[in-house]
Amino acid sequence: MKLIDIKNLTVRYRTFTALRDFSCEIEEGCTGLLGPNGAGKTTFLKTLLGFVTPTEGGGTVLGLNIATDGRMIRQSIGLMPEQECHIPGLTAVGYVAYAGELAGMPADQAIRRAHEVLEYCGLGEARYRNVETFSTGMKQRTKLAQAMIHGPKLLLLDEPTNGLDPTGREDMLSPIRDISHGKGVNVVVSSHLLPDIERVCDRVVVVMGGQLRTQGSIKDLKHLSGRPYDVDLREPNEQFIANLTQQGATVEALKYTSLRVITNREPSESVKLILETAKNCGARVRGLTPAERSLEAAFMEVINS
Amino acid sequence: MKNSPIADLSYRHYDGPLNGGATRWWSIAKLSIQLAMKKKGFWVWAVLSGYWYYILLAVFWFVESFIPSPVPGKHPLLSAIIWKDQFSNAFNISQLLLFVIALLIGTGTIANDNRANALLVYLSKPCTKLDYIIGKWMGVFIPITIVSLIPTLFFFAYGGLSFQEYGFISDWWLLPKLVLICCLPGALHASLCIGISSLFNQGRIAGAVYSGLFFLPWFFTKAMQVVYVVLSNNDNPKGKASLKFVGNLYYASMDGIQIGVSKAILNTGGSALFPGGGSPRGTQFVPIPPPNGTAITVIFIAICVIFSGIAWLRVRAVEVV
Repeated sequence: MKLIDIKNLTVRYRTFTALRDFSCEIEEGCTGLLGPNGAGKTTFLKTLLGFVTPTEGGGTVLGLNIATDGRMIRQSIGLMPEQECHIPGLTAVGYVAYAGELAGMPADQAIRRAHEVLEYCGLGEARYRNVETFSTGMKQRTKLAQAMIHGPKLLLLDEPTNGLDPTGREDMLSPIRDISHGKGVNVVVSSHLLPDIERVCDRVVVVMGGQLRTQGSIKDLKHLSGRPYDVDLREPNEQFIANLTQQGATVEALKYTSLRVITNREPSESVKLILETAKNCGARVRGLTPAERSLEAAFMEVINS
Repeated sequence: MKNSPIADLSYRHYDGPLNGGATRWWSIAKLSIQLAMKKKGFWVWAVLSGYWYYILLAVFWFVESFIPSPVPGKHPLLSAIIWKDQFSNAFNISQLLLFVIALLIGTGTIANDNRANALLVYLSKPCTKLDYIIGKWMGVFIPITIVSLIPTLFFFAYGGLSFQEYGFISDWWLLPKLVLICCLPGALHASLCIGISSLFNQGRIAGAVYSGLFFLPWFFTKAMQVVYVVLSNNDNPKGKASLKFVGNLYYASMDGIQIGVSKAILNTGGSALFPGGGSPRGTQFVPIPPPNGTAITVIFIAICVIFSGIAWLRVRAVEVV
């Protein structure tokens, strides 16, 4: 099912066009929103929330029209903003419960639910402390709790691991991963940290210059054309390389004793060719895996293309 | 098993009841009121704001209980009291203290949200800009109105029970009129506070600006009051001719407007705080007549609308990423 379906969306701020003929489809699950600064991610999220009226085009979020159903969309969405956004003078439980009341929850339900989500986000012990006294990681998790208090179907998380140390990142990414896989909550994560996106997301949408650059699963994005394999040898073997080249394969040397082998054969045939050639040449194979590039390499290629 | 939590800490979807959109403003107002009530200063100034009523209560109770009437029948001192003017006087005197309360609870109402980026929390939830503005407005209006109303109603109840034979309730519309004038400070301060507060990122700066806006015309209008009394006690014909103009200038401040509307509602120019009031040098108390009721009401409403409009223009969905 399409969670977000945007068609030919154009958003202008007076003379500046922030999104130009932007179309994308985001499916259920966890999706990463990638793009350099000024790419149009801000405007995209603002448009989804109904803050910005599209100049042209439009779309739907959870089947609701972004141009006319802003309030209903926000009822079904939870936003975790990038900036600190606590309400001065409130404890964590008071703040999260208040967010629930703003979403329409009765006060008694909101306070009960606030305890639950704060516990889920790992703030059980600190929930009676004033949010202003929290560390950065705790503030981030409080923002996550306020976003999910009313049980939204879609969470928009903006730079959720910003400014966090490795432990804090893990504490933040674990619930995001958990909630977006098997809990019925869909998540869109906007982040510049590609390892974080790779850790929690299944798909990505890459935006640049107000236009969609690419979208799809991370697996597809990292996929290399030509069905290459990475072969890790025990020690260098020139004859192995020569024999493979003779049989029509392209061999590219990687780090240390690793090689990238590209054949134009079927996968099973390729594996058979590599292993038989190694056997004939006396090359000892330590590892054989289908080659893929890093998400960073894929992202840079998309951005630079 | 030993390390298992007592409760189920895994994520569960919320499928409980949800209120309609009409109650969102109340959630916002409720929090503003709760935060105001947490401030000790609010309680101190709230109690002090009714001090003139406490003085009146003490004086009237003392007169009634301990000063015997020199003539049989009604007590001449109490007979000379114009009761609605006592409400008018108490209302005038409470203005400065109600302003302090507004300064304390109102000027940071939107500015502090701006500073803490809290608008993102409000506007990313299913509440509209109108809910937010109304909630913030009510969050200032309700406490100030209650603070203004409680001593007024208490004095009304005391007077109604004790001094009915002295014409305390000569006008059966007095109670609705009193309720209406008690709403005036709340409405004006709420509108001014949200308008000014929305222009700044810090409550203190908003408070400083609001103080300036209040006190500069306040000093001017108090000076006009002195000028009015001096001109009234002077036989100069030119001075007499300019009395009306000077009298109108007396209402050209935040508290002056409220006093003007309250006088128009109560239909009184006011009288001395106590009968026979005047200075030892012979200057007699001269009440400033009420302004044109329609004009002052239009000005009052216009100020409320303009400053609420400023808040409406300034509050908007800010940067998300």
